Amino acid sequence: MIEFKGAYFDGKISRAYPVSVVFDGRRLHIRGVDGDYPALDIAPEDCAITPPLGNTMRYIKLPGGAQCETADTEAVSALEHLTGRNAGMRLVHFMEKRWKTAAAALAGLVLCVWVFVTYGIPFVAQKIAYSVPPELTEQMSRQAIKMLDRRFLKPSELDREKSRELQGEFRRLYREIDGDFDYRLEFRKSPYIGPNAFALPSGLIIMTDELVKLAADNRELQAILVHEIAHVKKRHALRSIIQNSGVFLLVSALAGDVTSITSTAASLPTLLAQSGYSRKFETEADRAAAVYMIRKGWGTRPLQAILLRITRNMAGYPGESLLSSHPLTDQRVRYLRDIEASMPAPQGSGGIK
Amino acid sequence: MHKGAGKPAEKGGVVFTVQDSRDGAGTGPTSCSKDIPVHPVSRRSKPIFTGSAGEYFRIWIVNTFLTILTAGLYAPWAKVRERRFFYQHTVMDGRPFDYTAPPVAILKGYLIVAGGIILYYIAKAYNPLYSLLVFGIFSLVLPFLIYKSLRFFARHSVYRNIPFHFRGTVRESYKTYLLYPLLIPLTFGLIIPYWAFQRKKYFFGNIAFGTTANIFEGSARPFYKLYGMVAVAVIVITIFVTIIFTLSAPLIVGTGMKAGTFNTAMIFFIFTVYFIMLVVSAFIQQYIYAWTTNYCWGHSALGTIRFHGTLRGGHLFWIRITNIFAIIFSIGLLIPWAKVRRIRYIIGNLTVISDEGLDNFTADVSPDESAYGDAATDFFDIDIGL
Repeated sequence: MIEFKGAYFDGKISRAYPVSVVFDGRRLHIRGVDGDYPALDIAPEDCAITPPLGNTMRYIKLPGGAQCETADTEAVSALEHLTGRNAGMRLVHFMEKRWKTAAAALAGLVLCVWVFVTYGIPFVAQKIAYSVPPELTEQMSRQAIKMLDRRFLKPSELDREKSRELQGEFRRLYREIDGDFDYRLEFRKSPYIGPNAFALPSGLIIMTDELVKLAADNRELQAILVHEIAHVKKRHALRSIIQNSGVFLLVSALAGDVTSITSTAASLPTLLAQSGYSRKFETEADRAAAVYMIRKGWGTRPLQAILLRITRNMAGYPGESLLSSHPLTDQRVRYLRDIEASMPAPQGSGGIK
Repeated sequence: MHKGAGKPAEKGGVVFTVQDSRDGAGTGPTSCSKDIPVHPVSRRSKPIFTGSAGEYFRIWIVNTFLTILTAGLYAPWAKVRERRFFYQHTVMDGRPFDYTAPPVAILKGYLIVAGGIILYYIAKAYNPLYSLLVFGIFSLVLPFLIYKSLRFFARHSVYRNIPFHFRGTVRESYKTYLLYPLLIPLTFGLIIPYWAFQRKKYFFGNIAFGTTANIFEGSARPFYKLYGMVAVAVIVITIFVTIIFTLSAPLIVGTGMKAGTFNTAMIFFIFTVYFIMLVVSAFIQQYIYAWTTNYCWGHSALGTIRFHGTLRGGHLFWIRITNIFAIIFSIGLLIPWAKVRRIRYIIGNLTVISDEGLDNFTADVSPDESAYGDAATDFFDIDIGL
């Protein structure tokens, strides 16, 4: 037997009728306290009970649009329990009611975010990146290079012979490493970017004249090219775009509809995660280049040398930090040496695993 | 149940948190236990917000956790729970509001919006021109979505088991959310205050509680005054800031260059400008919000019920700024506290003035009800700030 007092609203007028409600195990008996209205006997199967929430009032929705409202949450919980209603939301309410479970939810949330950022998002991004149709990557890259050409890049001033020589070496490299992509190498002059090279998802690799001039020999440039081919082969550009959007989505889901100023603050963790991803990809490409070169018997020294020279060449290079997209050059060089130390130098053709 | 108010629901009585009553004589602050309450003339009552930050924090953290755990699928349930928290803790005349939206309907809306966003990004990747096309289609559909979401929002806002209704038309929505924005460049922005007025009118002039339509008596003129004032303030502040910085810039940059910390000085400079912009725009936003809300409530009449808003822009600004700092320094953990604090201030500054009490509103069950209550249109739930 469950008994409680409450107010009855018939759904037609905004007036509250004080009632007492009795549940005898079979039916709900609703009786007006100050008169004959209402007088209802209703089977609990015909009612809905709104799920519990904090210490707010409980509502029993009666057939025909009427409802009973009560502050006696214990009685309604008992009724809910007896009739087996709202099992899922009762569990949620159980967690919301206690500080301990709320703390557990916080811990679970932190864990979830960590798992998503380190495993979930990269995994899904990889799956998506590998299923993107080539026409789309082709289109994207065309848009990107158009924009870059307009803003940062100028036509190359390299002499024809040098560029033909590098094109030949590039062809040999990508045919040996990965025949799947339509690889192309183009040169641009860019005082703005300086000595650098980058790969677009379609397989277009851009190398600046400044980098060609900075290199001591072609081997160093080959090292850079293998690094860029690895980026293309493993679809790093696409993956990083997808991963970054994933992190952005996650952070906005967490921050909710808060103000623009707080979302500015929320961009810091976003940036941190994104630069973390980017450094991971760089390390992966470095590793691929190192493995290829060691197999070839060239060693990693040419890559180390050109990396160090690029860093030294950048005037007023701001100190690298947590937020920089490439790992510290010193770290990269050390990493390359470690790989070389741990790998014998066999003869034969290299490949990127 | 809310603190300090006892358990009025069980008595079925009417508990007014009375601020002052215009005609004291005998009626005054009253809590009656009969189902037919005495009707004092012009009672002023304030709705109160009874939720606490701690209670909301637990609800928020548990629901956020479940949303992330389910990769977003739980989001509509979380949203309904959070909405219900705020509604059910808003107690007017001893009775809480209720929010009854079915989460599944919201999920459908989310999925459609998500599909649209993905489409937009794919189109953008193919060709930026396509994304313009998608954007164009979106602008064409938006007024319809706003209309739908307002109806959805109203139908699921319930007080004393009587749902609200939104009676605006699609035509009005297209005028308000497509025509006027298109006219902004043609009128050199002079239509902006009028547009702000029309948006408010679309909501306040079309909302109804049961069969009782809200009458909105506002006009565009005060909006012109408000926006004119804001424009003048912005111009004055901009000139002032520009003068200060032109005077001090060579000083900052000069000393910076000498010390070889050019970057630091520049960053400081940019940061300061950015900060000033944020503070000024936050103040203007809050001021406009406070003024508009007070104005719209003050010029509304729901049957014999009148409203009076006493929000102050300065106070809202203070709440906003301190909230931002609290959120940043608590790495987001104080978001629930910040929200509750703001809502409590807003709700505490609305006064309801009624002649006959709130017992005689009737539900809208006219024959054209089906046109309003079509469950199949429960599709979109887009938030439009009130």
